[in-house]
Order: sequence, then C-alpha cells, then structure tokens
Amino acid sequence: MSTDVKASWVSARLPILAQAQVFFTERNLAREAPYLGLLPALITAALVFMAASGLVLSVYYNGGQGFSSLQFIDRDVSNGWLIHAFHETGTTMIFGAVFLYLFRGIFTRAYKAPGELVWIFGVAQFALLLLVGWLGYTLTDGAVSHWSLTTSADDATLLTGIPGAVATWFFGGPAGEGTLSRLVVFHTVLALAVFAIAALHYAGSKAIAPKVSGRQAVGFHPYYTSQYFVALVVFALIFSVLVFFAPHLGENPLNAGPADPLIVPAALTPPWYLAPLSAVQSVFPGIYGGIIGVVAALGVLFALPWLDRSGPNGRAGFVYKLLVVVLALDVIGLALAISAGPSAIAGILVLVFTVWYFLHFLVLTPLVTALEAE
Amino acid sequence: MRLIFTPVLAASLLFAAHARADDTLTPLHFQSQGTFGSYDKAALQRGFLVYQSVCAGCHSANELHYRDLEALGFTPDQVAGIAANVKLADGSAATLDDVFKAPPVQEAAFGGAVPPDLSNIVNERPKGLEYVYSLLTGYPAAAPDNVNLLPGHYYNLAYPGNQIAMPAPLKGNDVAYADGTQATAQQEAADVSAFLAWAADPNLDTRHAVGLRAVLFLAFLTIIAIASKRKIWRESV
Amino acid sequence: MAGTSVHAVGQEAESRRDFLKILTISGGVIGLGAIAWPFIDALGPDADGNAAAHMIVNVAAIAENTAIKVTWAGLPIYIRKLTAKQIADNEFVVPESLPDPASYTDRVKPGYESFVVVVGLNTGVPCELEGNDPSDTRGPFDGWVCPCDGSVYDPLGRVRSGPARKNLGIPRFTFLNDAQIQFG
Repeated sequence: MSTDVKASWVSARLPILAQAQVFFTERNLAREAPYLGLLPALITAALVFMAASGLVLSVYYNGGQGFSSLQFIDRDVSNGWLIHAFHETGTTMIFGAVFLYLFRGIFTRAYKAPGELVWIFGVAQFALLLLVGWLGYTLTDGAVSHWSLTTSADDATLLTGIPGAVATWFFGGPAGEGTLSRLVVFHTVLALAVFAIAALHYAGSKAIAPKVSGRQAVGFHPYYTSQYFVALVVFALIFSVLVFFAPHLGENPLNAGPADPLIVPAALTPPWYLAPLSAVQSVFPGIYGGIIGVVAALGVLFALPWLDRSGPNGRAGFVYKLLVVVLALDVIGLALAISAGPSAIAGILVLVFTVWYFLHFLVLTPLVTALEAE
Repeated sequence: MRLIFTPVLAASLLFAAHARADDTLTPLHFQSQGTFGSYDKAALQRGFLVYQSVCAGCHSANELHYRDLEALGFTPDQVAGIAANVKLADGSAATLDDVFKAPPVQEAAFGGAVPPDLSNIVNERPKGLEYVYSLLTGYPAAAPDNVNLLPGHYYNLAYPGNQIAMPAPLKGNDVAYADGTQATAQQEAADVSAFLAWAADPNLDTRHAVGLRAVLFLAFLTIIAIASKRKIWRESV
Repeated sequence: MAGTSVHAVGQEAESRRDFLKILTISGGVIGLGAIAWPFIDALGPDADGNAAAHMIVNVAAIAENTAIKVTWAGLPIYIRKLTAKQIADNEFVVPESLPDPASYTDRVKPGYESFVVVVGLNTGVPCELEGNDPSDTRGPFDGWVCPCDGSVYDPLGRVRSGPARKNLGIPRFTFLNDAQIQFG
C-alpha cells in the first residue's frame, strides 16, 4: 500500500516509472529477433564501459607526461593495469561490434527508405568513433602513435583555407607540449557526443520499426531481457578472453615503448581498427590527400541510401549479397596490406583494394541493385 | 642431538627451497609463456642480478621503482637493502620509492647508438622474449666473410640488419648466482630475458589467475543464461 | 484431462524456471560486482600515495636528548629520544595532577619506551613548538615550549602549564623494528 502511495507521488511529478513499465511490459515486439539485431545494445553497453574506464584513466592521465603517465597507471595505480586493459580491449570489442553491425546493415540493406536518416546517424557515429579511436591511440604517446600525431598536427599547419583553419584549430598549432592535454578533452567530449547521436539513432529506428501487435507480439520483459542477457554474457566472455589472455591484440608492438624524437619507426602501422581507413587515405597523393581520402571513404557510406538504385520494394539479390561479402574481404585485405609494412607488393595491394572499395560503392552497387530490382 | 638436528634440517630445507634451476635451456622455454604462464621467481631474481651487474651500466629502466622488486619474491628488508646499496648520482643511497638508477655513462659516449630503455623492451618487439634471448646469445665467433662490419659495430644474428653497436654483454660467469645455478652465458641470457619480461608486464600472474576465474565464471553464466532464455521463450508458445 | 496435465506441467516448469532465473540473475549480479570492483579500487590511493601515507622513518640515528622533525599527512611530527633522567622524572607522575591526565604508558609504545612521537603543534594557539635541539628553550620540564602563547610541555608531550589544556597529539605509527617507524 505504501509503495503505491510513493509510486504515485513520483508518477504525478515525473511519469518516468509509468513509461518504464510500459517499455518493459507492453506486448509490442516481434517474437523472433535475430541475435545480430542485439548488437546496438551491446555497442551501447560497450560505450558505457569505455566511458567508465576512460573516466578512471583520466583521473590519473597527465598530458604533459603522456607515455610515463600511462606507465604510472599500469604500474603504480591499484588495478590500473586492468582499467587500462579494459579500455584498450574495449576499443577492439567496440570496433569489432561496429564493423560487424555496419556490414550487416549493408548486407541487409537497412539503409533503404524509410531508414535513410537512421543510417546517416549510424555512419555519423561510426565516423566519430573512428576519430575518437584515433585520438585515443595518439594519447598512448607510444613510439608510433607519437609520430602519427606529430605528422598530423604539423601537416595541419601547412594546410590553407577552411580545411587548414579547422585542422589548426583542432590541434592548437604544431605538435607540442600541450597537444596531448588538449586532445584528452576532445577525446572525452567527442566520445560523449556519440551517446547523443546514438539517442537520435535509437529514436529514429524505433519510429520506423514495423508495428507488431496481437497474439504474435511479446513484451520486452522477460523475452528480450533474457535474450539481451545472453548476448551480453557472450560479449563479456569474448571480452574477458581478450583482456586477460591477449591484451595487446591488434596493436603495433613498437607502440609499447616511448617515443624517440630522433627516430621515426620504419613502418607507422596503425592499430587494426584504423587500418582500413588509413590504407584508403594513403592512396590519395598530396598534402590534402589524407583529408580527401577519409572524406571520400566515409562519404560513400553516407551516400549509400542513394547509391542503391533498386526501387522502394527492391529485394536484395544474390549478386548484391555476394558483392557485400567481397567488400568485407576487401576491407580486411586493406587492413592486412597496410599492416604488413611498406613494400612494393603492399603498395600495389592497397591500391587495388582501394580502387575496388570505391568501385563497389560508386559503380557496382547502383548497377547491380538496379539490375536485380527487375 | 635434537637441538642440532632441527636447525640443520631447517637450513637444508632452506637450501632446498633455492635449489639449482631446472634446465630451461634444452629446449628453450620460459615459464611465463603460454596462455596460463606465470613467472619463475627464482629466474627473475637471478635475472635481476644479471641486469644490475651487467646491463644497468649502460641501460636505463626508467619505469621501474625499487619497491617493485618485492614482486620477485624478495622480502621488504631485502629490497630495502638492494636499494640502499645503490649510490645515486648525488652520492645518496637510493630508497624504495626511487626510480631505477640511470646509467652513469653520458649519452654522447655512445656515438648516436644510445642504449634503449629496458622497462618495456620485451613488449616492443614481436615475440620479444625470444628476441631478447636470441639477441644476447646471437654473437657468433666471427662475422661471415661477405659482411662489411661498420666501425664500432658487431655482428649479431637476431638484430635487424645484423649489425649491432652493443658488444656481446654476456660471456659466462659474469655473476655468481646465490642459489648455485651455473652461470653460463645462455643461463644468464635466459634469466635476464625472464626478468625483462617481468619488467615489461609485471601483472601477468594476476592477469592469468583472474582471467581463468573470469572466463570459467562467464562460460558457466553463458550456459545458464542460454538455458534460462530458451525456457522463457519455449513457454511463450 | 489434457488441460490439467498442461497446467501441472506449467507449474512444474515455472518452479524450474524460478530456480534457473534466480541462478542466472544472481550470476549476473555477481559478475557486475566483480567488474565494478577494479574501477572502485583504481580510484583509491596509488603506489606513490600509499608510500606517502605509510611513510617509513629511520630513527636509529637520533641521539639521546634530541628530536628530529618529519612531515607526515601535512603535520610536523617530532620524534625524540629521551634520556634516562627524563624518563625517571616523568614515569611516576600522577596522571590526575596534570591538566590533561595521561600516564607514561599512554604516551609511549611498549618495548620502545625511550622514543616519544608527537605532533609538534601547540594544542592552544596552533604554533610549532620549540625544544627539539638540546640548545633550544625547553621550559622547566625539559620538554617543549610554545613560543606563541607560552604553553609548557614535558618530554612526553603532556601539557604542564599555559593556555593549552590538551596534550600533544600522537600520530598513528608502529615500530617495524628497532630502527624504523612506519606511520599510518
């Protein structure tokens, strides 16, 4: 009786409890949800986890000391090594889930009307996460990431016009003592901005989801709570295996040491999640090549709803699905080729894979979808 | 008789506890390698002795503090003694909270080939543990005929480019091990490599122990979560 | 007929699910707690902070009748070695006769009775005390005096006269061995 009184006191002032109850019990969800559809929730949970570990790291991280500050966290902060490993392996997990969900979206053509805006929010989160990931990589201030940051910040001062102004503003001038402290703030703010876009993305996807009702519909609890729990536990299991038994998977070992201002490593290979984008932008020549490459590579993803020329009811044909699988292999190939280090063969492979990447989106997708729509 | 027997027994047990090292050289294997590897503390202690006597003359280890050495199995008093024996540049004795002493040699003396800091060296190379061992034991008696050695460089089988500025640091019997292990060059190299592996990753033991428990717990939780979910979904029919 | 058997099976299944559900949920809660622990622990003091909080001081070098001053937890700590005469004069003073009653055993650690470790701040007007060096003014009891308000303390840090009414504070410490004190 008293709980009812308390509940109604809150509900009269903030209807959040009633809304939560409706969310959990109203029978409005389809019966069979594929497990891959649960990835967004896992990505969100991983984002929260990254935010928590990142906040603990930021208590001890010192931009003026960079590498030494992370060594301090690893060696002298109680369980600091574990929080650091959480954050590093969490990056691998989040990008793994994001890449998987992105390719699933391309494969199932989730970008088709009315899902274009949801798709754009999704790709925007992907782009922002790549930037946040790169910033985090530079914050480790290792032998390789130091040079990645230095080249980017120094080149930014050489650009002119609007790109130059934005880039110089972002880095605050050529790489120097204050750069890391500044980038910690940007890294945190942009990561939290991903949550904001995620909220829009979620609202959009709920708005366009097909309405289910009647005997076939089920409520969120206990059907989807139990299914989300399974997905979360499996995700946590994979995460634990990586964090405890392979904490440096996908990283360049050279980056485990401090940067030497007099020595540039022979190969500035990025961590695995940045490798495909790094490969694509390495193909574009000139000082603006990097920016053009990144904008182009992500731009074709943004434009995908309009590059797909099948009509509003067009179904995905076999050839299109095959092309998407080839695209996935192409992206993996890009990552492997750039990670192999500079060589003649690697250069040719990167060029071939990049050309195929743009060919897929700009030529093959419109062609194949238009043909298979009939 | 009993009065002498007990202390003699105790002393012999103490000696047995620091028995000679098991043969880890044929074939070469390190206890810390592998999914469930852990550090061989006896090897770490021997390796620290080699590091302190041979390597610390030129190499720094700026991320290590003397208090970290308690993880090697030394008692706090022994660690305090180790620190107190180190004379810092200003003449004072080192304390537990001091960073490992920087090498007394001026950087300019190395002619551009400055010895790298060893705190993380094992992590900085792919297969770092084997790399360090191979490098330390990779000085053949003479360079091959077709190699033109640069001045001040030596031929090394493991170093990229094969020409290294460091002369062979271990010749055998550079130190005297307290536990009686034979201090061959290979044994010293294996021990100091194990020590450097610890220096780069001091939390390996905890990580593997916690990891095993975490993975087993999560595997169990996966099974019951799947069972629970299926039960709920089946009953919805 | 079929209805009742379905109903019975349903009930049985329900109790089975309850057990499984309880097990699963408690497993989840345990997992969540286990994951939360490193976050909470990492925000605690780090190794340097711990070292400062549990500072070790070497007292073997302190000569009799002198005191050293160390800083711990932001406070000046005086560590003095007493002479036999100072011990004899103060050992059997009746506690009730003092402004702040305290016996000799209250002020020193058992087994290390010749060492006095006190916070060197006057308990009246806060002010650092004088009396560490034998050549300092020490007052009638050969202890410490406060140059600000004239309070007088004995070698055990008990207040004997003056505006101050409380004995000098004793910080948390233990003797690790004959030569080392650890604070905290």
